[in-house]
Amino acid sequence: MRSRSKKKSSPDRGSFQKNNRSSRVQAGTKDTERILYKYIREKVNQLLEIMGTKPLREEELDERTIVEFDPIGIIAESFKEILEHLREKNLQLQQARDYLQAVFDAVGVGISIVDRDLKIIKCNERQKELLVRDTDTVEGRHCYEVYCGIDSPPLICPAIETIERSREVFLKEVTKKGRVFQINTSPLKDGEGNITGVVEVSVDITDKKRTEEALHQAEKLAAVGRLAAGIAHELNNPLGNIIGYAKLLLKTGDLGDYEREKLSVIIEQAEKGSEIIRGLLEFSHERPLELRSVLINNSIERVLSSMAHIIESSGIKVFKYLDDIPPVEVDQKQIEQVFHNTLLNAVQALEGRKDGIIEIRTAGLDSTVQISLSDNGPGIPREHLSLIFDPFFTTKPPGKGTGLGLSISSEIVKKHGGSIWVESESGKGTTFHIILPVRTRIALNGEAES
Amino acid sequence: MDNLVLDIRGQICPACLLISLKELNNNRSRIKNGEASLVVLTDHRDATRTIPNAVTAMGYSVNVEKREGYYEITIKKEK
Repeated sequence: MRSRSKKKSSPDRGSFQKNNRSSRVQAGTKDTERILYKYIREKVNQLLEIMGTKPLREEELDERTIVEFDPIGIIAESFKEILEHLREKNLQLQQARDYLQAVFDAVGVGISIVDRDLKIIKCNERQKELLVRDTDTVEGRHCYEVYCGIDSPPLICPAIETIERSREVFLKEVTKKGRVFQINTSPLKDGEGNITGVVEVSVDITDKKRTEEALHQAEKLAAVGRLAAGIAHELNNPLGNIIGYAKLLLKTGDLGDYEREKLSVIIEQAEKGSEIIRGLLEFSHERPLELRSVLINNSIERVLSSMAHIIESSGIKVFKYLDDIPPVEVDQKQIEQVFHNTLLNAVQALEGRKDGIIEIRTAGLDSTVQISLSDNGPGIPREHLSLIFDPFFTTKPPGKGTGLGLSISSEIVKKHGGSIWVESESGKGTTFHIILPVRTRIALNGEAES
Repeated sequence: MDNLVLDIRGQICPACLLISLKELNNNRSRIKNGEASLVVLTDHRDATRTIPNAVTAMGYSVNVEKREGYYEITIKKEK
C-alpha cells in the first residue's frame, strides 16, 4: 500500500504542480503519506474505541505493519459477524414474541398488563371477550374504566394493593358485568426490581359457581327427601290407627249426624295424609322393577276407569287414539302410576272449565312405544317448565298437592330406560310425552337400560 | 473438538483484541460449526474484558479462567 500510494500520488501531485521539480514532488508525496497514515491510524482508533478497547500507541505498529496487519479489515469482518448475529437474534426474538402472543391469546383465562397508573398496556383476546363490551382500543385506557365500568379506582382494588405492597393479591370471587370472576394480580418488575405495573389474571367461574349451587341444591333436596321418608314412615302407623278407629266409631249406631260428619272429615283428612306419605315413600324408596309383558292400551283403559268418577264429575271429555302397539316389558303397577299421575295432572289443569278435553294417543315406533297425553288447559308458564319434574315443585295451593306426582313419574320412566318430557304453551294446553322401550333390559346396578 | 491455542502472552491492548479477532475470523467456520474452539492465553488483564465483550456480540460463547500468571479465554460456538 505504501508503494502503491506513492505511485498513485506522484503523478497526481505532478499534474497539479507542473512547474515544480522532483524535490517538491518528493516533499508533496511524503506529506500525503503522512496525512494518509494519520487518517488510517485515527480511523483504526475510532473502530477500536467502538470495540471497547484502547487506541493504538505511537510506538505500536509502524506504518508498514499497520497496513500489513490490516486492523480495519479485521474489525470489518467482526462487524459483519456481529450484524449476522444480531439479525439472527432479532429473528429469534420475533419468533419468541409471536409464540408468546399466540399463547397469551389462546390461554383460557383473561390476562391484562397495566402500568402503575392503571392504564392498560396489553390485554389478551380472552380478557376482551370476558370484560370488554365496546370495540374501541383498550390499550392506554384505565383498567377500572374498561373492566369495571367505573370512573375512578374502586376502594378495594387488587391492582393498587399489588403496586403499593409489592405482592400478589388473590380475590376469590368478584362480580363484574354480570359474571363471577376469580382475580389474581402480581407485580411486574423491571431488571432492578422496581414495580412497573401489574399483571391481572381473570378466571371466569360463573359456570362453575352455578354447577356448585345446583349440586348444593340437589344435596339439600336429597337430605330433605331422606328426612321426609323417615318421618313419613313413622307417621304411617298413627295415621292408620286414626283411620281405623274413626271407621270403627262410625260403625257404632248411637251417633248423631254431627258426629258422623266430623268423623268422615277425620277419615278423609287422615287418608289424604296417608296418600301424601305413600307418595313420599314412593319417591324415596328404590323399589325394584317387576317386569312383565304389558299391553299399554289396556293399562290406559284401566287407569281411565279407575279415575272415571273424577273425570266425569269435572265434565271432561276424553278422546283416545290408541294404535295397535306391541306389548312392552314394564312394571305394570309403576307404569300405571305414571299414567295416573299425568292424567290427574291434566284433570287438575282443567278444573273449573266446561270444555275440558283430554287426548290420549299411543303409537309404536321402532322398538319403542310412545304415549302422549294432551289437555287444553291453561298451559305451563315457561319459567315452570324446567321445574315440573323436580320433587316438591307444585303450583297448587297447600294441601292440594305434594309436588311429588310428576317427579315420581319421571323416576319410574327413567328406571324403565324410557323418557318423559313436556310440551306446553301458555293458554294452549299441555302435552306429556312418554317413550318406553319395548324390551327393558335391567342393568347390573338395578337401573334399566334400553 | 480441536483446541486452537493462541498464545499472546506479553501482548497488550489493543493488539490482544485485534490478534484474537484475526485468529477468530480465520477459523470462523470451524468454530461456528462447533468443530473447534479458540483458546487465547493472555497475561493482559484488560483483554479478559475486551475479548469476551467483542466475541459475545459476535455470537460466540466465552469462558475465562485464571491460570498461574495468565488467563485462559476459551471461545466456542454459542450454546
